[in-house]
Amino acid sequence: MTAKAAEKTASAPDVMDIEKFLYDEADLLDRGDLKAWLELFTEDGRYWMPARPDQDDPETEISLFYDDRLLMSIRALNFGHPLSPMMEHPVRTSHVIGNVRLADWDGETARVTANFHVVALQRKEQTVFAGRYTYELVRAGAGWKIRQKRVDLINCDMPMKNILIYL
Amino acid sequence: MGGYSIEHIRSLVEDARVHRDVYIDPEIFDLEMERIWGRAWIYVGHESQIPNPGDYFITRVGKEPVVMTRGKDGQVHVIYNRCAHKGAKVVERTCGNAQGFRCPYHGWTYKLDGSLQGVPARSGYADTGFDMKDPRFHMQKLAQVDSYRGFVFACQSKDTPDLKTFLGDAAATLDNMADRSPEGELEVAGAPLQYVHDCNWKMWVENLNDAMHPMVAHSSVGDAARRYAAQLPEGTPYPREAEIIFPFGSSYKFFDEMGVTTLPYGHGYMGGEMSIHTEYSEIPGYFEAMVASYGEERAKQILSQNRHNTIFYPSFTAKDAVQAVRVVRPIAVDKTIIETWHFRLKGAPEDMLKRTILYSRLINSNGSMVGPDDWDCYARMQEALVSQSYEWVDMRRGLGKEERLDGKERSFGTSDLSFRNQYRAWLDYMTKDVEDREAA
Repeated sequence: MTAKAAEKTASAPDVMDIEKFLYDEADLLDRGDLKAWLELFTEDGRYWMPARPDQDDPETEISLFYDDRLLMSIRALNFGHPLSPMMEHPVRTSHVIGNVRLADWDGETARVTANFHVVALQRKEQTVFAGRYTYELVRAGAGWKIRQKRVDLINCDMPMKNILIYL
Repeated sequence: MGGYSIEHIRSLVEDARVHRDVYIDPEIFDLEMERIWGRAWIYVGHESQIPNPGDYFITRVGKEPVVMTRGKDGQVHVIYNRCAHKGAKVVERTCGNAQGFRCPYHGWTYKLDGSLQGVPARSGYADTGFDMKDPRFHMQKLAQVDSYRGFVFACQSKDTPDLKTFLGDAAATLDNMADRSPEGELEVAGAPLQYVHDCNWKMWVENLNDAMHPMVAHSSVGDAARRYAAQLPEGTPYPREAEIIFPFGSSYKFFDEMGVTTLPYGHGYMGGEMSIHTEYSEIPGYFEAMVASYGEERAKQILSQNRHNTIFYPSFTAKDAVQAVRVVRPIAVDKTIIETWHFRLKGAPEDMLKRTILYSRLINSNGSMVGPDDWDCYARMQEALVSQSYEWVDMRRGLGKEERLDGKERSFGTSDLSFRNQYRAWLDYMTKDVEDREAA
């Protein structure tokens, strides 16, 4: 084993540690605390929700979301804004995350996949969103930062109503 | 059905107001599907979605399931997606390439133009009146199919004038969108957004040229963007997102100056030379590519046209300067799917497409901070129009102030002229065939 490979193995992240990070992230969304939530992202961090399965380019094809920190910040200010007609209705979510797996670890970036079920209350109606998360996580001190959170809804290419909060 | 007499329908539309039943009565919706969506030219898709022989794409024209195909000879067909035998939907995949179509139920097969190719164990049909050549046994063609600059429309009535007549001056929007490509051609980029609205289709169409709502309904996102920008260090350049979001909060005066123009058949547009898209920054290499193709004078002329939203009543709206179109697919009196499609300008830098996509994500997406506020307002109308307190919806702003010239009408941008024009067309469609029948 080379020294580098040994180091990589030695520093391999603990999946339970990652799970806790994902639960805490989901908790911020369930509380609607978008300001604290966006701080989990790196400065170049992205939140991406493709509009079709296997989409590989967020810039030359439409997505439901492809937010950088700037848009996350505007969204945090817009969320619950008293001048928004849609935001007059409460938006509530309940996330359940499972099947968390470390797909890849190169010594710096962890690629993590997980399944999610989110029950969302939007405009008086309860909706189920389900699919797969793919995270790129980078070490930040003892914790993690998100470089990308990709959200593949199982129905991303079907007609649907609003999505008023990050899932 | 049959509850609505021609007099009753006429009484629903006045000069300055329209009766709420046009938005909430399912019987009116069924009549619209027959008389408006069954008579007008309805947008189907773009030719670039089916570039090769055998390519197909399924969608709906009004309530009708249809398939757009490209035949072996390159011709575009639009056929009803219904098996001539027992009525099953033949093609279920959204798009693909095929030699022909086979109904999965009893195996009747069809050519790309919808004509019958074969039926299993055909001898059983001997002496029954069955005839392979009879269109009754085909996936039938819609009465008229034509395209303009690659935009394919179909019409279910033989009596409607041809597509060019129908489009009239609205065609200039499609010309401009295509001319903005250095090669003069557009190409669909990726899958569409499909956004389900809990509202009548007409509310959505009206809103496209409603210049009194952005500064109210969309004020929160403008405020959020301004508050974000205010906390940036002084001298930080505004990001591209800002130049897209901020104009939605423009003043009444700005929208008034943009102006609104209406055309026959219910069509219309805002802007012309200036719109909320005029001040977009230049994308490197694009103007140079345009000059190389068209010469400087013509390139500048093309880029000077800037219509905000052109409505091709009832099914289609286009933004020439943004290269995005939206397609109206009514489902029920209170349910409408809006598709948003995006176009690559052939020969232009890829950054042009990236801006189109960014625009649409910020404004049109189900997850945007603009579309949902419109959505909510439409749903509020759908909910509260049941109120017995007042039966009318008002559209009198600017009444009598319009100028008429060459079949067009023009007024200040926040006038309700566009709504009044749409309801003139609505009334024509909804009463004309009845009048024709009664006159016969």
